[in-house]
Amino acid sequence: MSAPGNNPGFVAVEGLAKRFGPERVLDGITFTVGSESVFAILGRSGGGKTTLLKILAGLVSADSGRFRLGETDLTFVPPERRKIVYLYQEPLLFPHLNVRENLVFGLRLRHLDESTIRARIEPLIERLGLAAQLEKMPAQLSGGQRQRVAFGRALAVQPPLLLLDEPFGSLDATTRADMQRLFKQVARQVGITAIFVTHDLKEALIVGDRFGHLDAGRLRTFSDRSAFLADSSSGGAAEIAFWRSLDCQLPASTDAQPKFN
Amino acid sequence: MSVNSNHISSLPAWRRTLGVIVIGWCWLPVVYLALLSVARDWAFPKLLPSSLSLAAWRLAFGPGGNLGTSFMMSTAVALLVATLATGAGLVASRTFAYHRRRGWWVLAAHAPFVLSPVILGTCLLFLFIKLHLVGTFVGVVAGQFIFCYGYAIILLIGFWNPHLAALESLARTLGAGRWQVFRRVLLPLARPMLAVCFFQTFLISWLDFGLVAVIGAGKVPVLTLRVFEYLGSGNVNLAAVVALCLMIPPLAILLLNRRLATLAV
Repeated sequence: MSAPGNNPGFVAVEGLAKRFGPERVLDGITFTVGSESVFAILGRSGGGKTTLLKILAGLVSADSGRFRLGETDLTFVPPERRKIVYLYQEPLLFPHLNVRENLVFGLRLRHLDESTIRARIEPLIERLGLAAQLEKMPAQLSGGQRQRVAFGRALAVQPPLLLLDEPFGSLDATTRADMQRLFKQVARQVGITAIFVTHDLKEALIVGDRFGHLDAGRLRTFSDRSAFLADSSSGGAAEIAFWRSLDCQLPASTDAQPKFN
Repeated sequence: MSVNSNHISSLPAWRRTLGVIVIGWCWLPVVYLALLSVARDWAFPKLLPSSLSLAAWRLAFGPGGNLGTSFMMSTAVALLVATLATGAGLVASRTFAYHRRRGWWVLAAHAPFVLSPVILGTCLLFLFIKLHLVGTFVGVVAGQFIFCYGYAIILLIGFWNPHLAALESLARTLGAGRWQVFRRVLLPLARPMLAVCFFQTFLISWLDFGLVAVIGAGKVPVLTLRVFEYLGSGNVNLAAVVALCLMIPPLAILLLNRRLATLAV
């Protein structure tokens, strides 16, 4: 597998803007994402994160701006022809299909033969630990399992770009941490190019290779993790200061004690 | 079965009696109609007819009875109206549900209910005369469709919600075109609701008398017209036979609906 950001301009967004009535939701959004890298966008609720992803997925049209994936201009291409998968905050599964059929949903649309479908999903099933759940219906799964299925279904179609809209936001803290690790691990193994939006600084730091901060419809991008953390808008400095203050109060013998040097 | 029997036998006597009375009250008209259809010499004040005969049934289904034709006509009208209303209602309800002025559209869909079918038929009569639709099969179907279409919209509008819209969007990003979204996502999820809508609109059409009498002008011989025709000519035995035939599809639909409800649970 190649290093993240092989092709630094694989995803190119230029001057994207969107208004809902008098409200300016996105204002001149411009950024690039390298192939096989994860661009983490941090932002508060209502900051325009979901609108940005929906525009990139083709589900909402932009008022102005352009969006290119590789050499192809996708600005006016309908969602089903973009091959970009959008992963929702809620783990949306098709309630009338079992786990197996949910996983292969995108492949069935492409009319692939059974052996190709099997070859495509079996490694995913193993990687995501879903072997025991295949015949279950979505209602029988936990939140974490549902999100794994949704993630697997997205990966099965091998999208050139994956859009993740706070996909672990509805999970409990432990499951969420598990899913973050799993995402990072699979992203590295498979070589995913993704845009991951979240309001959680820690999550952004775990999953991202590059970082941005979206506030009131304006996006600031950062060259690396240190620049992102050092910027006051990310809240990174305040977070570190908080943990440092706890660090002083914790007993010296605590093994799990965080250290910030 | 044994659980139900045990449950019933454990009920207090007054509740059992009340249950029997209620069930008996519901089925009394059916029993009465069945008896009436085979009654001979049933004169007041006798509680039961003096003798029984299948003459009315033979006459109804015999060569000159035309009951078979009426049954086919009623079935054809009701099937067509239910199919058109359910299909069009599904499309329209989706448009209305996601429209920013959803409330206004739903209100507009209630318009046919302000009028009874017979008044709606009277309102449509002049237009249908101009269109040469009065006294035709197409005219009756078109008239009943107007009524059932509004009903279908109101019934189906509750099916559409933001969660379903998100599923549609998700399917599209996974590569589904509009037709594939409909076939692979919406149709399977809507099936129980569509079945209920189809059955309900079928029943509205099947049991309609007023609109079919006005628009059909007696030239579209559906079963409900036959009942009144026989009653008007004083042939209560034949009227009872036709009334019993009218009950067959609703009963079958009730049983099917119950099965659907069980499946949905």
